[in-house]
Amino acid sequence: MVDIEEDIRSLQLDSAEDNNGVVNPEDGKPEEVEKSDKMDEDPKQEVQAQVVEAEPKVKDKEISSVQEEDDELETRKRHLNVVFIGHVDAGKSTTGGQILFLSGQVDERTIQKYEKEAKDKSRESWYMAYIMDTNEEERVKGKTVEVGRAHFETETTRFTILDAPGHKSYVPNMISGASQADIGVLVISARKGEFETGYERGGQTREHVQLAKTLGVAKLIVVVNKMDEPTVQWSKERYDEIESKMVPFLKQSGYNVKKDVLFLPISGLMGINMKTRMDKSICPWWNGPCLFEALDSIVVPLRDPKGPFRMPILDKFKDMGTVVMGKVESGSVREGDSMLVMPNKDHVKVVAIFIDEERVKHVGPGENLRIRLSGVEEEDILSGFVLSSVANPVPAVTEFVAQLAILELLDNAIFTAGYKAVLHIHSVVEECEIVELLQQMDPKTKKPMKKKILFVKNGAVVVCRVQVQNSICIEKFSDFPQLGRFTLRTEGKTVAVGKVTGL
Amino acid sequence: MADGHETDKNIEVWKIKKLIKALEAARGNGTSMISLIMPPRDQISRVTKMLGDEFGTASNIKSRVNRQSVLGAITSAQQRLKLYNKVPPNGLVLYTGTIVTEDGKEKKVTIDFEPFRPINASLYLCDNKFHTEALNELLESDDKFGFIVMDGNGTLFGTLSGNTREVLHKFSVDLPKKHGRGGQSALRFARLRMEKRHNYVRKTAELATQFYINPATSQPNVSGLILAGSADFKTELSQSDMFDPRLQAKILNVVDVSYGGENGFNQAIELSAEILSNVKFIQEKRLIGKYFEEISQDTGKYVFGVDDTLKALEMGAVETLIVWENLDMNRFEKMSLLEWFANEYKRFGCTLEFVTNKSQEGSQFCRGFGGIGGILRYQLDMRTFDDFSDDGGLDDDSE
Repeated sequence: MVDIEEDIRSLQLDSAEDNNGVVNPEDGKPEEVEKSDKMDEDPKQEVQAQVVEAEPKVKDKEISSVQEEDDELETRKRHLNVVFIGHVDAGKSTTGGQILFLSGQVDERTIQKYEKEAKDKSRESWYMAYIMDTNEEERVKGKTVEVGRAHFETETTRFTILDAPGHKSYVPNMISGASQADIGVLVISARKGEFETGYERGGQTREHVQLAKTLGVAKLIVVVNKMDEPTVQWSKERYDEIESKMVPFLKQSGYNVKKDVLFLPISGLMGINMKTRMDKSICPWWNGPCLFEALDSIVVPLRDPKGPFRMPILDKFKDMGTVVMGKVESGSVREGDSMLVMPNKDHVKVVAIFIDEERVKHVGPGENLRIRLSGVEEEDILSGFVLSSVANPVPAVTEFVAQLAILELLDNAIFTAGYKAVLHIHSVVEECEIVELLQQMDPKTKKPMKKKILFVKNGAVVVCRVQVQNSICIEKFSDFPQLGRFTLRTEGKTVAVGKVTGL
Repeated sequence: MADGHETDKNIEVWKIKKLIKALEAARGNGTSMISLIMPPRDQISRVTKMLGDEFGTASNIKSRVNRQSVLGAITSAQQRLKLYNKVPPNGLVLYTGTIVTEDGKEKKVTIDFEPFRPINASLYLCDNKFHTEALNELLESDDKFGFIVMDGNGTLFGTLSGNTREVLHKFSVDLPKKHGRGGQSALRFARLRMEKRHNYVRKTAELATQFYINPATSQPNVSGLILAGSADFKTELSQSDMFDPRLQAKILNVVDVSYGGENGFNQAIELSAEILSNVKFIQEKRLIGKYFEEISQDTGKYVFGVDDTLKALEMGAVETLIVWENLDMNRFEKMSLLEWFANEYKRFGCTLEFVTNKSQEGSQFCRGFGGIGGILRYQLDMRTFDDFSDDGGLDDDSE
């Protein structure tokens, strides 16, 4: 215990030196504890401050710097949200942590501190994951519970990492993470037996892939992790075996394996084949790219910045006003804009916009933001609400028509009206009931069948009417795909996926 | 044999439920409606005497109309009691009074019966309505199980008893998420976070005591407690010293569910099915589950919808007849279909099961299949002989 405290203290000194007298932008009071911890939470800010020629961060000068920044907007690097998915213990947090470390977001001291902490728990291999797993419970058990969030950048792209939990019980959290992502990194453990359990029925490798596809994660990088393991030792056979097993499954889940999926071997713990291509001495048979290259090279379709503004609210907190977090799904926002918080129709004004820790004036779609609002109390906002433009606001409904594909019902269950499940749509999690089955789609012709239906079984595609208790903000899939696609889950299983076809 | 007895009891329960509903709906003129309950081993003579005294008191009522109706009610109660020479083994329940019917006419009613299980209440009340609380308790006095479903968003307190699943209370919390605010001290943040979580556990523990400990007897009012939740809250709660030790002793099961709220509640029930196998609710789920199994495997040994079910009944093909207990449908003008089933089911050689729409399966059965159906003894293809009436017939049932 004493050691840790000492570590912390030394850390404070370090950061004070590093910071070079950078003052906290919020209160202008140089407070030692604050500073050191900010470092832990979001080391990127410091790094940036240094890179961008120690941008003046004192409050009164902030405004001018923001204005300069506005011009930089157009030249800002593209932004991508990456979600890490995969079975529990595949190494998602470790890989995520390693990325941050390699990209210089975490300094040596912090790593040493974590290394020590992990050693104290006699779980030495967990230290990299501690970068992403910040909660005490997560560290004790070595399992991510809530979605971790961090930023890093490469030459061409700014990334937001979303580290999803792999454990079965926390799939709802994983969904909230994946629903914000543009691309996914599927982490698979190559260790003997671990790949198999993840791939089995009920394994999360399977469930996550299916969910990711239906949540709108268009591109997938499949990293075969733990290649350095004694049971694997960079064996080409093992790698090929995993790839050959995954390909049919990915196809079946709707991914175009040639265009949208990329396989590569890594070692997350050792950081091999991540930032730089690996040495032939480690793995003679791999000629492909490393993870950073792969991430850089991914192309995602551009979004229209002129559309009506939509930002589902993931989280909110009080910080000199009400601050909401979320990803812009459509449109763009400027400081000073008037907006609506739906479904409560609260009129709000955008006071400030932050990307990461950096204050900006104007943001386009796809960005992960924090927005400070005036005109609404923090208590009046719930996650699942949508920040929307005043003209053309997002509709709020309690009933909608949707097309559903039934994936896997519980044993011998059938799908009828009266079926109750939990609905996940963008950041909304709501209990729902199927009130009416309208028609079944013929799987071959994709045309509605004439016959009236009372029940359907696994694999069926049906159009039905869905009802929720509280009003939720959704859009037709055809208008805003990200606000119109959803999953139905019950008792820890994903039973159906679907899209909103009518409001 | 025992099974048959069990079925009869279920029907008995359903009849009482129906009676309670009717009694609760009844309204009378003035305070002339008498509710009288005698526990087992009470004496008829004592009650007759009491009624005599009451008769004397009631003669002093000023209003003529009221006096007459009260006296009338007491007289009919006395007359009815004369039919018994002693209180039946399970006690006696008697309701009498003049009720006002829907079309504004007055109607005298007197209902007396022996409850299906001993009733532990003594009651004499003259009011403008019938008092049925004791009967309701009678229905509930099955084993009652408490559920606490706790996750990071809130907690739900519920009970399961017989075939009723009840939510006592729900509240939500707003715990700080992993990465709350930027710039805030991580240590301070972690501390605040722990504090909020601690307070949440405390609140839940306190509410648990409030809901599951009877303040009158200081004893738990449930025969078992099931803790459910995602993440660690449930274990934290069960091990916390804020959690009442009296309740701690009652914990039967701690289960992992992926959601809070109603869905978590349902999953907790599902996961505790082994322990709760004697509870009607679970049996009901199993029954409908079996029915769905027939459907999903396409065995042809099932039937749904009023017309088809009645046809199958007449053929003697129905093994188990399943009906939603609140099915609102009449056989002929006056007689409810349910009542007819309750009286006549034996004639068709089937067993009759009343189900609720409280469980997932029940809800599907009522919404999706109109709340009536049956498992057949042998395969029967209904569609072959009523293809044309199929669509129309089914429409009517599913509302």
